[in-house]
Amino acid sequence: MELVTYDLEQLLRDAFPEAEEVRVTDRTGGGDHFLVEVTSARFDGLSLLEQHKLVNEALAAPFAAGTIHEMRIKTKGTA
Amino acid sequence: MTELATRIKDVIDEEPVVLFMKGTPQFAMCGNSSRALEALRAQGAPVTAVDIMRDPSIRQELQELSGWPTIPQVFVKGELVGGADITQELAESGELKQLLEEKLGPGYADGAEERTVDVMSS
Repeated sequence: MELVTYDLEQLLRDAFPEAEEVRVTDRTGGGDHFLVEVTSARFDGLSLLEQHKLVNEALAAPFAAGTIHEMRIKTKGTA
Repeated sequence: MTELATRIKDVIDEEPVVLFMKGTPQFAMCGNSSRALEALRAQGAPVTAVDIMRDPSIRQELQELSGWPTIPQVFVKGELVGGADITQELAESGELKQLLEEKLGPGYADGAEERTVDVMSS
């Protein structure tokens, strides 16, 4: 379970190397419901939809593999 | 485009507010679908719901049309607003109300009704 959280964080850090904060929380302890929080300057000026799209893209593989059953996303710009 | 995709697209284009959800407004089968629904209800939005659990092909076709990977999905005037997190966040910040007023007119909540449409039958 810890491993999955760590893997997801790693994927996000690769996708958002400039991020001020990347945090993945296992919401239920079951290893498949996550809260994903990313704070990055890349989100500045983007709509929430575009911001969430970037996060979804970064985690497309574990999503397709079924590792992620459910994911909540919180994104923040730095501006 | 398949017949089903055309029907889904028609609902998105023709209905002011569409919520693709698991279950129905009367009986939501998923917490995220409920969150999106409640956020829309709180603004008095005229919600047209589509239950994607009716058939697995609905979700596939919708995903291809919208490019959005998860359920629920909220559309206003044919445009994807987002999933549960975005809809809830926009509702809390007041931006959802703004968006609805902009797209549907300030009187959008007058006589607003909640209904469910079945895209599996034409």
